[in-house]
Amino acid sequence: MTKKNRDALRRLNNLLHRDLGYFFAALIIAYSLSGIALNHVDEWNPDFIIRKTTLDFKRTYDRRTITEEDIAALSSKAGERSFRLYDFPSERQVKIYYRDATLLVDLEKGAGEYEKISRRPLFYQVNVLHRNSVEWWKWASDLFAATLIIITLTGMFMLRGRNGFSGRGKWLVTAGLIPPLIAVFLQQTR
Amino acid sequence: MTLLHPRRFSTVAILCNLLLAACSQPQAPNTGRENPTKGKKVGVLLVSHGSHSETWRKTLFELEKRVRQRILENGGVAGTKTAFMEYHEPSIATRLKAFDEEGYSDIILVPILLTVSSHSFDDIPTIVGLKDNPESVEMLRLEKIERYSPAATVHIAPLLDFGDILRKNVLRRTKALSETPADEGLVLIGYGSEPYENEWARLFGDAAETVREQTGIGKHSIGWCGHIVRYSPDSTTAAVNRVLEKKKTAIVIPSLIAFDENFQIRIIGGGIEKVDGHEERVRYKPDAILPDPDVERWVVDISKEFAKNILNQ
Repeated sequence: MTKKNRDALRRLNNLLHRDLGYFFAALIIAYSLSGIALNHVDEWNPDFIIRKTTLDFKRTYDRRTITEEDIAALSSKAGERSFRLYDFPSERQVKIYYRDATLLVDLEKGAGEYEKISRRPLFYQVNVLHRNSVEWWKWASDLFAATLIIITLTGMFMLRGRNGFSGRGKWLVTAGLIPPLIAVFLQQTR
Repeated sequence: MTLLHPRRFSTVAILCNLLLAACSQPQAPNTGRENPTKGKKVGVLLVSHGSHSETWRKTLFELEKRVRQRILENGGVAGTKTAFMEYHEPSIATRLKAFDEEGYSDIILVPILLTVSSHSFDDIPTIVGLKDNPESVEMLRLEKIERYSPAATVHIAPLLDFGDILRKNVLRRTKALSETPADEGLVLIGYGSEPYENEWARLFGDAAETVREQTGIGKHSIGWCGHIVRYSPDSTTAAVNRVLEKKKTAIVIPSLIAFDENFQIRIIGGGIEKVDGHEERVRYKPDAILPDPDVERWVVDISKEFAKNILNQ
């Protein structure tokens, strides 16, 4: 390959890396945020903020005699002016439904747990993308993944000399392979 | 040539169609009594958890196959289908649409679920349009589980805990593994449900009590394997260890509807493997509640009972 051709390829390489990197910068950050959130799904809810409040109604109820007025009174204690529906999951419980909340009451204990749900700002939206919850986004996500590969490969050849891939680059790439290989090895030996 | 006004043309077309239908429809024989079905067409939809496990899904389809003929006897029910709540088709929405397309007026939804949980109490009614539980609505949307309110009326049957199915099932499976009851303890592992843990514990406690009465195995413990413990094997390990503190041997019964490799092998089996000396001290068969003749009988009986009530309305 002639020097002219090599220079042309390098310019194309750099151009691809720069422009694709700019274009997908927001999406890279979004997916990274979502990845962090979803990695800790056992410690927190990455999609919703669920506010729980325990209530003491200071009296007990009997399922057989509970009335809509009782339901309204229970709702009032939870700060809800009206309810959509109520139902009995068991003999000792009634669950009351509101627009964005529920109240699960233990009739025997006269206590309840009020749960109000709201979407976690930013994280809900990026998680929707990460999970491909939008029907057609799967293909966009595939394109994004392929582009990440291009950005990575072109990045390796941005520089020349001692700081390029043939110098510093090859060692760092090799070092970067070590953690996932260790993880795979440990997983195989479990 | 004069074109008819669109609305007038539509009206004329409708009237013509109605006339043609009336002329071509054969007269029903006069039996001297009112038609008890009153034009109703009743279907039965068996609904269970979905799973990535083919074995699980096959078991549920097999259940429908085994009960279909008995349900269809006497003509009260016109058809049966099976649906999965999540992960795999046919989904509940898919099946409900099929019932609508086939002209059913009523659908008996029979949950093949052990006892009350968020899925049975909130998610399924929300999917079929009978409830709007806020959390279910959000989660279903996020998981791309389609909601569908059918034209047909949906009637939800009670759960499997309504009868004594689990007691008989656990007893049978425990007896199969038991050798020396005086030295054995029972461990029941179920999916569990956070808001209804007491209900699950009571159901399992009743089953364990039946085992005690019938076999003399007097020590038991309960463990969970579902979302309530984040699918961790540790709950199984802890439950087994609690029994082994008092007894020489633990008999572990997976109280799950069907076999799923992820649960019976990885989670429960993995939990047992963490028990010291499990090779000698733990008896475990990775089976499930199904197939079970009592479950089949329950499905048939509840379907017929609901169908009878619907047709008599």
